[in-house]
Amino acid sequence: MRPRFVILLVAVTALLAIVPIVGSPVMVQFGISTLLFAVLAQSWNIIGGFTGYPSFGNSVFYGLGVYGTAIAMAKFSLPFGVGLVCGAILAMLCALLIGLPVLRLRGQYFAIATLGLSVAMAAVFSNIEIAGANIGLILPLTRADGMFYELSLGLLVACVLCVFWISRSRFGMGLIAIREDEHAAASMGVNTTLYKTMALVLSALFTSIAGGIHAYFITFVDPASAFDSTLNVRMVIMTVFGGPGTVLGPVVGAFVLSAVYELLANWISTAAALLFGVVIVVAVIFMPRGIADLAAGIRRQGISYLLQNIRRYRL
Amino acid sequence: MRYTLTLLAALPALILSAATLAQADDDVITLGASVQQTGQQANTGRYYADAYKLAIDTINAKGGVKVGDKSYKLALKLYDNQSDVNLSVRQYVQLITADKVNYLLGPFASNYALDDSSVAEKYQIPMVQGGGASGQIYARGYKYVFGTLPPAEDYYASTIDMMGKLDPKPANVALISADDSFDVSVAKGTREHLKSAGLNIVVDEKFAENNADFASILSLVKSKTPDVILWSGHETEALNFIRQMKSLDVNPKGFYAFTVGVPTADFRKALGNDANYAFGMTTWLPTDKLPDQWFGNAADFAKVYKEKFGYDPDYHAASAVADVETYAVSLAKAGSLEPPKVRDAIAAIEFDSLYAHIKYGENGQIVLPQVVVQIQNNELMPVYSTDFLNKPQYPVPAWGERK
Repeated sequence: MRPRFVILLVAVTALLAIVPIVGSPVMVQFGISTLLFAVLAQSWNIIGGFTGYPSFGNSVFYGLGVYGTAIAMAKFSLPFGVGLVCGAILAMLCALLIGLPVLRLRGQYFAIATLGLSVAMAAVFSNIEIAGANIGLILPLTRADGMFYELSLGLLVACVLCVFWISRSRFGMGLIAIREDEHAAASMGVNTTLYKTMALVLSALFTSIAGGIHAYFITFVDPASAFDSTLNVRMVIMTVFGGPGTVLGPVVGAFVLSAVYELLANWISTAAALLFGVVIVVAVIFMPRGIADLAAGIRRQGISYLLQNIRRYRL
Repeated sequence: MRYTLTLLAALPALILSAATLAQADDDVITLGASVQQTGQQANTGRYYADAYKLAIDTINAKGGVKVGDKSYKLALKLYDNQSDVNLSVRQYVQLITADKVNYLLGPFASNYALDDSSVAEKYQIPMVQGGGASGQIYARGYKYVFGTLPPAEDYYASTIDMMGKLDPKPANVALISADDSFDVSVAKGTREHLKSAGLNIVVDEKFAENNADFASILSLVKSKTPDVILWSGHETEALNFIRQMKSLDVNPKGFYAFTVGVPTADFRKALGNDANYAFGMTTWLPTDKLPDQWFGNAADFAKVYKEKFGYDPDYHAASAVADVETYAVSLAKAGSLEPPKVRDAIAAIEFDSLYAHIKYGENGQIVLPQVVVQIQNNELMPVYSTDFLNKPQYPVPAWGERK
């Protein structure tokens, strides 16, 4: 990585960090949700992008983070930080427990099995008394949107650094090997079960902390919003849009798509959902491997990169 | 990589442009709201969007609002939250900080009101909302949030009150409710009301939301022979419940009542004669007995509304109008546009509207008895609110004895 690029990244992060001081409250609101989406996309990238396991269970980890934090704070009056740790532990344990049996499945079977989990988990939490059952839990109101923003930004930086480490480490190479050919990876001495479970647990860690921050920020949690499977779909879309298996792709994907969604929603509200869909379809046709690949491809081949994509994938 | 950099650098610009700016005239009071105009909840959300517009236009046509010595016109800044809770939170922040609206009106549904009212409280801007009934909204000690839907916990309060005045007086009750958030709250409150009225709960069953089969619950009910069945759920489930009651010949000795369905025309159409005798409830009926300063009365309002929008208003629309009128009345009382003063005025006001007699309780939620209704000879009849309005058909005859 060139030093110029590192300096630019640091500058962008610094710029983002001062948004609460110089920006309007609307920007801070938008920033919080966008940064959290970027964390979710980046976490999904670990299991979905690097390891090649399309998880639809990440909304379970998100929900556990939400509820871990909410129960600790609302029922036991514990501080926010302790709540986040509770949520993270809960989610990582869950990842460990479900990872061992479910990670034996491949491809669409893995996707279906994990998809069932979030529905099941919502049903479980609607019947747990300590989680407020179906009525939900209320968290204390804090007038500190700046803090939520900086926390989200900090979490995103940590998550990106972690993925950067993965992309250069033996562990990451193992994950990529599993994605490309799991049998070959195993025969080369990669402990596939350990690697896959580790990837899922790491993914659960960041996802659940994002959930915990969002719970305290929004002050109310219920099973429907905590275990929302459309959230998982958005993680996948953002990652794929940005470039799965790359370090910055999911972050850029989350930022760009959040901005597009927000602009469409506020300016042309009725057709927003439709246009958002069009953006995704066009993106999949012209840059099926994400923005990260687009950037490299255009530099290499210019505009013909887009056409070549269509030919290559026989659209 | 250079292109990734350009994109990264463009991000702050994108975020900046996401915030739009609006300017306010100095003789206009702007009310802001974010409502579901598209997406899953749009079907009910439209009541709020349309009723807000109609109420504001009508108040302006009658001269607007006088605050101190100055006359103001009302204006509405409306966003479509596309049935997305997180987007609605951001839009409320935008309304307050970028659009600089004076006060807030609410969205539809409790889960939206729960999140959005936190924004109002954070910025200390009053929000009067007519879309969320959950007691949770008011359990947080917020000062700036008011609501015109009565608490879910009290839905059966007037029905239970009526039971004390019936002859013969019912003693044993079967309570059946769906397992979603709203109906769980209804059941919880009903249990407490029944206990303090000294009635026995002989059956207390929960069913899964969107369930169509009540056979096992109904055979349990049949074996316990209760006097009254109090049922809480959604309209389609209510239809199924009555059909299965008939086919399994389940006959409570007194009557059976539903939280939803009974007041709607669809309910009577779907069930035909089997809809007869069913008890239900509504917070609002479009009668000429509800006088209103701007619309004349509730019946006139219903007529104007139908002419303008092409469909009949229901309690959602009436409640939304009451929210706007709350501001009109309390601004005149407050004599100031300062949010804290307006807030205090809202807490203290009392006036008659086409929706109901408006007075907010200590926690900000309206105190409002449900009107008990019954379908008598295929007609919807109001039966009881704080006393009998019409004679109920009681006890309800068994299925086999009906003509």
